[in-house]
Amino acid sequence: MLEIRNLTVTYGLHKALQGVSLTAEKGEVVVILGANGAGKSSLLRAIAGISEGDVAGDVTLAGASLRSLGADRIVEQGIAFVPEGRGIFGDLSVWENLMLGAYPERARARRKQNLERVVSLFPKLAQRRGQTVRTMSGGEQQMVAIGRAIMSNPDILMLDEPSLGLSPLLCRDLFENLSKIRETGIGVLLVEQNAKQSLAMADRGYLIENGRITGEGQADALLSDPAVQKAYLGGV
Amino acid sequence: MDILISGLLLGGTYALIAMGLTLQYGVARIMNLANGEVLVIGALTAFLVYTSLAVSPLVTVLVIAPLAFAASWLVYRILLLPLVRRAKNQGQLEVDSILATFGMGFFLVGGMVFIYPELFAYSYLAVPVDLAGTTVAANRLVAFGGAVLIGLALYLWLNRTRAGLAVRAVAVSPLAAGLVGINVEKTSALAFAIGGMITAMGGVLISTFITLDPSFGVIFTMKALIIVIMGGVGDIRGAIVAALILGVVETAVATLIDPGLTLAAAYTIFLLVLLFRPEGLFGRRPA
Repeated sequence: MLEIRNLTVTYGLHKALQGVSLTAEKGEVVVILGANGAGKSSLLRAIAGISEGDVAGDVTLAGASLRSLGADRIVEQGIAFVPEGRGIFGDLSVWENLMLGAYPERARARRKQNLERVVSLFPKLAQRRGQTVRTMSGGEQQMVAIGRAIMSNPDILMLDEPSLGLSPLLCRDLFENLSKIRETGIGVLLVEQNAKQSLAMADRGYLIENGRITGEGQADALLSDPAVQKAYLGGV
Repeated sequence: MDILISGLLLGGTYALIAMGLTLQYGVARIMNLANGEVLVIGALTAFLVYTSLAVSPLVTVLVIAPLAFAASWLVYRILLLPLVRRAKNQGQLEVDSILATFGMGFFLVGGMVFIYPELFAYSYLAVPVDLAGTTVAANRLVAFGGAVLIGLALYLWLNRTRAGLAVRAVAVSPLAAGLVGINVEKTSALAFAIGGMITAMGGVLISTFITLDPSFGVIFTMKALIIVIMGGVGDIRGAIVAALILGVVETAVATLIDPGLTLAAAYTIFLLVLLFRPEGLFGRRPA
C-alpha cells in the first residue's frame, strides 16, 4: 500500500500542498480531483521524487519510506509515474522506450511478461515498434508512456492528467485501459480534471483544493454528491 | 583529390575531439571549455614519454585512456556536480559550467607551461605512404585509423550495452531517464569521464603529426564547438560528418589560399551554420 501522511510541498514562500494524507492499494484505482493549480501535480511529483520544491511529510510504500530517495530509487521500490507531458523519450523508437521502461532491476526478470501485458493492452505498439515516438499522435504517445510505465513492473502506477489533449473517444479508451491495468493487480493513482469519466471507473476519490484535501470517499458516492456535482461535474 | 584525402584524414581526428565534447555537453549538459586543454595534455604526455622513454604513442594512447577517464570523473564529482545540483535550470548550469571549466582551462594551461613552456613536436612514422595516388604521411594514416577504431567502439558501446542505453536515454531526456530508474547523476559522470577520455586519446593521436604548444587548447575547444554545433548537439553522426567537412575545408583553404586562413575558414563555416541552420546539420528544429 502506498501511504502518504501529512505531505507538505513549498516553493519558496508558496505552499503548494499542506498536510495532505491519502492511501492507494494495489488493484484499485484512486482518482484525485481538483482544479488547475490545486496542487495535484505537486503531489504526484513529490511522491515520484522529482519535486522542485521542499517536501516534508511521510511517503511509504509497503511500510518502506520513499522520502529523500531519488527518482530512480523510487521506481525500483515499485512506483511508476507518467508525468504531464508524458515523460517519454521522443527521439527514440517505441521499442527502445519500452526496453528503457524495463531498465530497473526489479523489472528485468519480468520483462517478457510485462511486454505481453503491454502488447495485449496496446496491440498498436507492437506494429509500430520501430517508429520514433515524437512522430506519433498524442493518443499513441500516451500508449507509449503507459506502456513504458508498466514495463517497470510497478505496484502503483501514477498518472498526471492522462486524458489531457485526448479526444472523447480516446479518453474512453484510456479509462477502459486503466481499468484493465487494475485487473492485473497494479494500483492506479491518477489526478484528473475529467471528473465524470474518471470517477465512473475509479474505486475511490479525493478532492483537493488550494493544496488541501477537502473531501474523500467511494467513487460512486462522490459521483452522486451534490457538492461534487456542482464543483466538478458542471452542476448536473 | 589530395585535398580530399588529407582533409578526411584530419577530419577523422577532429571527429574524435568533437565526440568527446558532444558526450559531455549532450549527455552531462556540461559545456566543457577546458576540452582543448585535455587534448593538449594528452598530446604533451605522448610527446614527453616518446622523447624521454621512447614509448610509442600507440602505447601511450592506451595508458592515458584510464587515467583521463579517472581524472575527468573526479573533476565531474568534485567541481561540476555541486553546480549541477544547485542549478535551477539548464541555462544556469550552462553559465556556471562555462565559467568553471573556463577557469579550469587556465589552470591546466598553467600546469603545462610549468612542465614544458614551448612548442613541442616529435617525429613518429613520418614516412610517406601512397594512398590512391596521393602521398600522405603514415602517422596521419595511423591517427585516422585510431580515430575510426575509437569511434566504432564508442558507437557499439552506446548502442549495444545497458550503460550505453542509459547514456542515450539521459541525452534525450534526463527527466524520463530518472523515471525509468536510471541514476542520472552517475550516468552523467560516466558520460563526462568517457568524453574526457576520448578527447585525451584524440590528443595523443593528433600529437603524432601536429606541432603544439601548451596554450593551443583553446583552438581545439573552438573547433570542437564548431563541429558539435554544426552537427547538432548530442548527435554523434552529425559530429562525424561536420568534423570531416571541417577537415576538408581547412585543408582546402590551407593548400589553395593560405595556411594562415584555416581558422578564419572554420569560423566562416560556423557563422554560416549559425545563420542558416542554427539547429545543426542533423539537429531537429525546436517544435
